[in-house]
Amino acid sequence: MSILQVQNLGKTYRQGKQTIDAVRQVSLSLHAGEILAFLGPNGAGKTTTIKMIAGLVRPDSGQVRLNGLDPHRQAQALKAVGAVLEGNRNLYWRLTPLENLEYFGVLRGLSRRVARQRGLDWLGRLGLEHKRHATVQTLSRGMQQKVAIAVALVHAPKLLLLDEPTLGLDVEATQTVKAIVREIAASGCAILLTTHQLDIAEALSDRVAIIRAGAVIAEQPTRELIRQFSGQSYRIELEEPLPAALAPRLAPFDLTIADRQLTLHRGDLLYDLLEKLRPLAIQEIKKDTADLTEIFLKLVQEKTT
Amino acid sequence: MIALFLAELRRSWIQFIRYPLEAILGVFISTITFYFLFMGASYIAGPGVNLSDSAGAERLDVLVIGYVLWILTLFVLTETTNSLEAEAKTGTLEQLFLSPFRAVTVFLLRALAGLAIRLILIAVSLGLILGITGSRLSFPPLLLLPLVTMLMSTYGFAFLLGGLLLLFKQVRQLLGGLQFGLLLLIGTPVENLAGLGRLVALMAPMTPSAGLLRDLMARSVGLDWAMFGIALANGVIYLGLGLWCFSWAERLAKQRGLLSGY
Ligand SMILES: Nc1ncnc2c1ncn2[C@@H]1O[C@H](COP(=O)(O)OP(=O)(O)OP(=O)(O)O)[C@@H](O)[C@H]1O
Ligand SMILES: [Mg+2]
Repeated sequence: MSILQVQNLGKTYRQGKQTIDAVRQVSLSLHAGEILAFLGPNGAGKTTTIKMIAGLVRPDSGQVRLNGLDPHRQAQALKAVGAVLEGNRNLYWRLTPLENLEYFGVLRGLSRRVARQRGLDWLGRLGLEHKRHATVQTLSRGMQQKVAIAVALVHAPKLLLLDEPTLGLDVEATQTVKAIVREIAASGCAILLTTHQLDIAEALSDRVAIIRAGAVIAEQPTRELIRQFSGQSYRIELEEPLPAALAPRLAPFDLTIADRQLTLHRGDLLYDLLEKLRPLAIQEIKKDTADLTEIFLKLVQEKTT
Repeated sequence: MIALFLAELRRSWIQFIRYPLEAILGVFISTITFYFLFMGASYIAGPGVNLSDSAGAERLDVLVIGYVLWILTLFVLTETTNSLEAEAKTGTLEQLFLSPFRAVTVFLLRALAGLAIRLILIAVSLGLILGITGSRLSFPPLLLLPLVTMLMSTYGFAFLLGGLLLLFKQVRQLLGGLQFGLLLLIGTPVENLAGLGRLVALMAPMTPSAGLLRDLMARSVGLDWAMFGIALANGVIYLGLGLWCFSWAERLAKQRGLLSGY
């Protein structure tokens, strides 16, 4: 069952005489528990799309459905969504984390009692009990970001929108945010995530959508995309340099040989090659896989030319 | 809805009291301000003012009430615009629109909560002043009625400004000029006017309510119900107008992608 359905969404901004087609004909859908990485260069239209999903920017064309409801017409639809938007902490700085959680819980339609209970649960999950009495402005950036995510989740939405959630976080805080994202997806929440850190997208996402100049140019399950862009070659690393005497026997394999490293371009010949190499000691065999960064650059640049 | 109002009340109160020194300083400053306004008023009212002379005392009290109302409306307007701006900056503003409650509802409850706290503070300041100066302002419970209508049109104004602020970031610069406009609106003695002037004054925001408050508090005249009817209509219309403008501005801001202060 899909929680989010976006169809042919379009948005044009006018600035003076200039018009900017920020988003063109974008369609997406998300199922419970699924993480979609929404990637694209600066100004591609990611934030605009996210805000149209959250009802904060009105689309010029197309439609958004959250659990079947239209967030632009039916305010109840917003119960199903939580969002941490670009570049800000969406918290009241003078309140403590718990006071923030309580306030936003009530704002999203919970009773005070439930909001408080959920707030306490979240503080426990995030390991922030010791900061119960500290105001948000005295917390580190990483802690603030954790609280911001908790605030977006306090009403237990079915969809979480995260616009660059790891921007400006250190390594450890980034790991924590990644762990939280995995955990909430596992509990059945659908997550739409934008980031410029492609390793994070690769590690977290089930599916990737790449947007360029307002249009989606690729959308696929992450594993498939990577497989599709990965070559058929293997790299074999030996413990000792290849004995010169062996080289003529390996000629038919069309290898690239560099000291201890052999690159086999025809994957189907792997076992034949290993047979010939016996009994040399092998350090490592690795299939050549593309990473998301390479794929991203290839796709984004390819469509430019 | 009640839960949200209480949550707003809690939020405003915590933000106010979080740094007690700052809060006490706030009350202190507003007391001092009132005190000097009062002193200034007795100066303007003329050197011959004798507090036991009832005409002189009346003139003085009329001025004090005018000032207090002026400060109150200024507080309401600056506080609304300041907090809207601050929230656009920190990003909480967008979160307010991500709620099953309508934005107008949230902001209205928020205004009420802020007002409750503000009124308590002003009552404290005013109490101190009255204690110090021995002014004989009277506080009949009926004065709440014109006070409410007065605040209704003030909030109508605040919502209008807030709406404009969503669309144009430069609106703040209007505020300086607005202060004098407010002084004029509040100070116009509608109760002493006749003919066309009176008609205009009755339709101007806040003016009829301010007149009623002067009558009630300084002149100890009973509440003129016909006049209150006009003040009520005045308050309802300006508040309605303000809310309508705000909703309209909200729609336009969403159209143009302006909610985050782009
Ligand atoms: N309110 C607005 N008014 C006018 N133009 C806007 C507005 N918001 C966004 N734009 C423009 O729309 C385009 C898409 O912007 P958007 O913020 O959606 O990009 P993005 O993919 O989120 O970029 P980034 O990776 O830098 O966050 C950009 O050209 C931007 O300048
Ligand atoms: Mg963005």
